[in-house]
Amino acid sequence: MARLAILEYPDKRLRLKAEPVEDVDDEIRGLVSDMLETMYAAAGIGLAATQVNVRKRLLVIDVSEARDEPHVLINPVIVHAQGKISSEEGCLSVPDVFDYVERAEQIRATYLDLDGRPAELEAEDLLAVCVQHEIDHLDGKLFVDYLSELKRQRLRKKALKKVRRSANEAPRQSISARLI
Amino acid sequence: MAERSAAGARVRAVAAKLNAAIVRDGRTLDSVLTEPAGLPERDLPLLRALLYGSIRWHHRLAWQLERLLTRPLGRSRRDAELAALIRLGLFQLQWLRVPDHAAVSATVDAAAAIGAGQRRGLVNAVLRRFRREERQLDAAMADSPEAFRSHPRWLIDAIEKDWQGRAGEILTANNAQPPMWLRVNTCRVGVDEYAATLTESGHSAQRDDTAPAALLLDEPVPAASLPGYADGLVSVQDAAAQLAAAYLDLRPGQRVLDACAAPGGKTAHMLESCPDLAEVVALDRDPDRLAIAQDNLARLGLSATWLACDAADTETWWDGRPFDRILVDAPCSAIGVVRRHPDIKLLRRESDLDAVARLQARLLERTWPLLGSDGLLVYATCTVLKRENHAQIERFLQAAPDAALAGGRSRGQRQLFPGEANMDGFYYACLKKRDARQGSRA
Repeated sequence: MARLAILEYPDKRLRLKAEPVEDVDDEIRGLVSDMLETMYAAAGIGLAATQVNVRKRLLVIDVSEARDEPHVLINPVIVHAQGKISSEEGCLSVPDVFDYVERAEQIRATYLDLDGRPAELEAEDLLAVCVQHEIDHLDGKLFVDYLSELKRQRLRKKALKKVRRSANEAPRQSISARLI
Repeated sequence: MAERSAAGARVRAVAAKLNAAIVRDGRTLDSVLTEPAGLPERDLPLLRALLYGSIRWHHRLAWQLERLLTRPLGRSRRDAELAALIRLGLFQLQWLRVPDHAAVSATVDAAAAIGAGQRRGLVNAVLRRFRREERQLDAAMADSPEAFRSHPRWLIDAIEKDWQGRAGEILTANNAQPPMWLRVNTCRVGVDEYAATLTESGHSAQRDDTAPAALLLDEPVPAASLPGYADGLVSVQDAAAQLAAAYLDLRPGQRVLDACAAPGGKTAHMLESCPDLAEVVALDRDPDRLAIAQDNLARLGLSATWLACDAADTETWWDGRPFDRILVDAPCSAIGVVRRHPDIKLLRRESDLDAVARLQARLLERTWPLLGSDGLLVYATCTVLKRENHAQIERFLQAAPDAALAGGRSRGQRQLFPGEANMDGFYYACLKKRDARQGSRA
């Protein structure tokens, strides 16, 4: 088990399209368990492989109150969607940003389970929203893409400033480390 | 994906479940709050505020909800929790400084967490309709004393019957947030000295003339965070309860009975105010609560003779040696401490009063013979109902020719009203035992 680093917007790797998983083997199962650990540790309700810099179509979700109902979807495809729901979303890769996004209210998705067997999930409300949000990640899309151009520009500026700040801090840390 | 409202929704969902456990299952606020809520530490103050507030204003919130629903909710647990969640939402809109949109969205999101995800729309619609119709609802409340006073009807009637002119004041005080009173352990530290320690640690408190060891904190804080709390320098106790020790007029060498001692606040205070008492015999029927009392005294470095038994069954425990002082802090309807325990308004039934009055009468009758001549028995309740107070004592005096109110009818008893001088509602009667040899009660 290991906690993985989560890529943060505007990291370009979040824009890469993920490839289907060919074999659900022990390596995939290991990745799944690391992703679950990472998601729980970050208090997230969903995490896509893209966010941990793995270009595979794989995601983990747990929207339960008790944090004890994990869903693992490999090669997920939405085969049916209906209704509309607008809810406030946030993303572990876009920290501290929350905004309303319109999605399908109910969906049906097919996927492979941890044994590589085909399975189906019917979801509504938050779970449905979360599945759509995570599948977007696998296609290189972020929830902020749905926001207005103005909002996105502001977000980009803020995120870049943060990246520059941490870049400036890094050398100072390494100097003091050497002094010790 | 991440949720902003996850934490806010979770605490509201827990509050709704606990609220329903009180309203539907008749559990007490204290008991539901001792269970682990599965929430992070930082959410606990909000949980308490939501739970206390929604129970304090329950009668009004339930009345509002009834008018805002087009169809009533069902009787299942899930519906009871959904109703509790909406009442919590209504409480937040009226009493908490949470912006409307945040309160509504966190409450709507909590619906999913109590298994009512499909009814988010209902929660949202009711809360928004409340904002639109708030003024009409407020006006309509004039016709419902139950909603206006946020008390059950029988209790409003009982208080009005006993205290006509003061009833409004009492009912209002019952719905106020109580202040936090401390009792300084004067065996260990002076009151002014402790007040200075409080100031140093960033708290502020006022002294009070009525209760010599009392300090009134300007802002309530968790007891454990008080300086010297673990070392027994201070306890949390309302000033009204601190009057018991003064009324007992304790002297060194006296043997004292505390007939209903748990949770031990008054027992401890007796020993703090007069450390040279010969013995304090502390009884309670409930062994678990007696154990808590014992722990409390241990923290303060005090000790008493503990007996888990019914004080009225004197033949099972009394050794035949008379007491110089007796405190009968009787079980009561507790209508004087509703501001501290708002669940009393939901849990107490009018039909409980008969049994409680009988219990009080029996305690008085049975402990009175244990008092030595010239001894003093202090009868105390934390209620304002005359039946348990003035009328109870009147009845007792008629049956006990060797008993009299110390200092006469007007000075020998005192009713404190809730909120009066920031104190809880208490009743005290000081009964003096006259020497039987002096004959008739002239």
